[in-house]
Amino acid sequence: MSSAERMMATLIARRGERILAGLALASLTASAILSLVVSPPDAEQGNLIRLMYVHVPAAWVAYLAFAVVFVSSIAYLVTRKTRWDRLAAASAEIGVLFTALTIVLGSIWAKPVWGTWWTWDPRLTTTAILLMIYVGYLAVRRLPDSPARRARWAAVVGIVGFVDVPIVHLSVRWWRSLHQAPARLIGVPDVSPMMGAALGIGFLSFTIAYVYLMAVRLRVGRLEERAVAEALSPRVGQPVEVLMEEPARG
Amino acid sequence: MAPPAVRLSGVTRVFGVAPALIRADLSVERGEVLLVRGPNGAGKSTLLRVIGTALSPTYGSGSVLGFDLVTGREEIRRRVELLAHRTRLYEDLTAKENLRFTSALYGLDAGRIDPVLRDVGLADAAGERVRGYSHGMRQRVAVARALLRSPELLLLDEPYAGLDEEGKDVVDRVILAARAEGRTVVLATHDPSRGTAATRTAFMDGGRLLPDLRAAGVR
Amino acid sequence: MTLLGQTLTVAGKDLRIEMRGRYALGAVLPFAGTLLITFGLSLGPGRTLLQQTAPGLLWLAVLFASILAFRQAFQAEAEDGALEGLLLAPIDKAAVFLGKAAAVALELLVIEAVVVTIVTAMFGLSLGDAPLVLAGAFVLGTIGLAAVGSLFGVLAESPRAREAVFPLLVLPLTTPVLVAGVKATELAATGRGGEAGSWLSLLVAFDLVVLGVGTLVFGHLLED
Repeated sequence: MSSAERMMATLIARRGERILAGLALASLTASAILSLVVSPPDAEQGNLIRLMYVHVPAAWVAYLAFAVVFVSSIAYLVTRKTRWDRLAAASAEIGVLFTALTIVLGSIWAKPVWGTWWTWDPRLTTTAILLMIYVGYLAVRRLPDSPARRARWAAVVGIVGFVDVPIVHLSVRWWRSLHQAPARLIGVPDVSPMMGAALGIGFLSFTIAYVYLMAVRLRVGRLEERAVAEALSPRVGQPVEVLMEEPARG
Repeated sequence: MAPPAVRLSGVTRVFGVAPALIRADLSVERGEVLLVRGPNGAGKSTLLRVIGTALSPTYGSGSVLGFDLVTGREEIRRRVELLAHRTRLYEDLTAKENLRFTSALYGLDAGRIDPVLRDVGLADAAGERVRGYSHGMRQRVAVARALLRSPELLLLDEPYAGLDEEGKDVVDRVILAARAEGRTVVLATHDPSRGTAATRTAFMDGGRLLPDLRAAGVR
Repeated sequence: MTLLGQTLTVAGKDLRIEMRGRYALGAVLPFAGTLLITFGLSLGPGRTLLQQTAPGLLWLAVLFASILAFRQAFQAEAEDGALEGLLLAPIDKAAVFLGKAAAVALELLVIEAVVVTIVTAMFGLSLGDAPLVLAGAFVLGTIGLAAVGSLFGVLAESPRAREAVFPLLVLPLTTPVLVAGVKATELAATGRGGEAGSWLSLLVAFDLVVLGVGTLVFGHLLED
């Protein structure tokens, strides 16, 4: 096994999961302490600025997850190895969570600051469209009954969706800028070093949380495949291990 | 020596959790007319569709006319015609227009369309939309398509279904013509009155090719 | 045959079917018309509001029409399993993608011509000032819609497909077309056609991206 495969295997193993869980918990706690207690309130928004420490990292993970879907989708179409499809599927599911979280947090932030639950802020709007594309991706995964076809269709959606997002963002930004644009809601305001640190830990802790959730989801994915292989094995007369290996490149 | 027409090794095709074709090992030499018999649901259609590359195998490997089932798909498609349960016709076009479309896609001689339609007995109806055709007439268009293409390997999945005696004779003529020209035919049917042109018979049940006659086919 | 030749063959087949069955003209066009009347009823009869919202409503009608048009276009492939015939043909599978996109784009342009006329009359949209900008927006936008629809229309043919998956994918992905199309139309209608350049180039970029990526990946969608 290559060192990358060994690292993956370690991460996904039970012990690896527990280590990741511990790291995630620790970093999230540190982030919480920094964001809620240590960092100062903002000059304009007061304590509301603390929402930034979860909203922005959540957005980062949402887009990171989608980037992983994109790269895995390309890798799958090129190599036809199921592990890339597993990675894409897991990342899409976790991505949906973080995308929804980003939107909800953005909404909660908007209400007290602007008096409205939704502003057509370009980044938030793009994130909402991203959520719909993700949901479309997951819906497409349910259509075919052949795993190879499911992987291929999903990969196409993953690729086209990701490539489209920058164009969507550009169009929404131009669209928005035609009108009186209030000071950007979702942006990084002038940060004091302490705020910068809190935000940085926020990014780190959310990223670790993402990796942990991925590890869990990948393990669940392999269990699902094992269940299918076990159902198939008696009917096809081949041992489960053989069925779990890469099937024919289809 | 030319590669065998079909060689399958452990080919399995699964739909969801239901295996339709299980560990198929098959060897068909060029010029053979293989008759595949079996009850409904035995996997005959799946077998033919995998050979014809309409379906890819879930497990296993194989080759058709020397080209790999997966990597050589396009090459196989150029040389194989699959006459399957679905006729793949456009309902709003006439038989002639459907065949013209096929000949454009495959680079065939469009001048042969009229004679071929005559051969299958559709000369009169050729100018009407397929939507108004009976099932038997549609089958005949599919047979006409096979005649037009004259492929190296002809795969026929229940070609007699829905045809009257005359129609069934047309199908048999196609099979005999292929055999006379040294081309290969795989015919799946559970019609007991047909299939006399076959050089070999294989049996399928429950998704498997039954072993007794496999041995006879493997060289 | 070259890719172009194959594309034209596929497009020609689709257009011939359309001329026979009149699906786009017979069902999609009336639908677009009804939609616009419904929009008018729900927003009117105040002239100003209708004039302001006309570009947006126009493009919404076009968007929904394109979804219907693709449903119809892939219906012909589904009836007797003809899509498999296209898969098995020794042609570049991208020709199927491009050919269908071209055919439906033409159908949509015809529908749009009629719909724009309706909107001009009913909603008081003025078109005179920058006809080239307007035409450019519609042609480029239609190409984008047709590309996305042709790419994902295959998914609608799956036996398990619930009706909503196709629109669920198409709507978010075509957002740039909607935004750019509406803005360009607005600018053209209010005598500021010269400012529409960036919107038109956005449409061009979108079209190139979807056509390019689609050409590369479409084959994967057809295989089983």
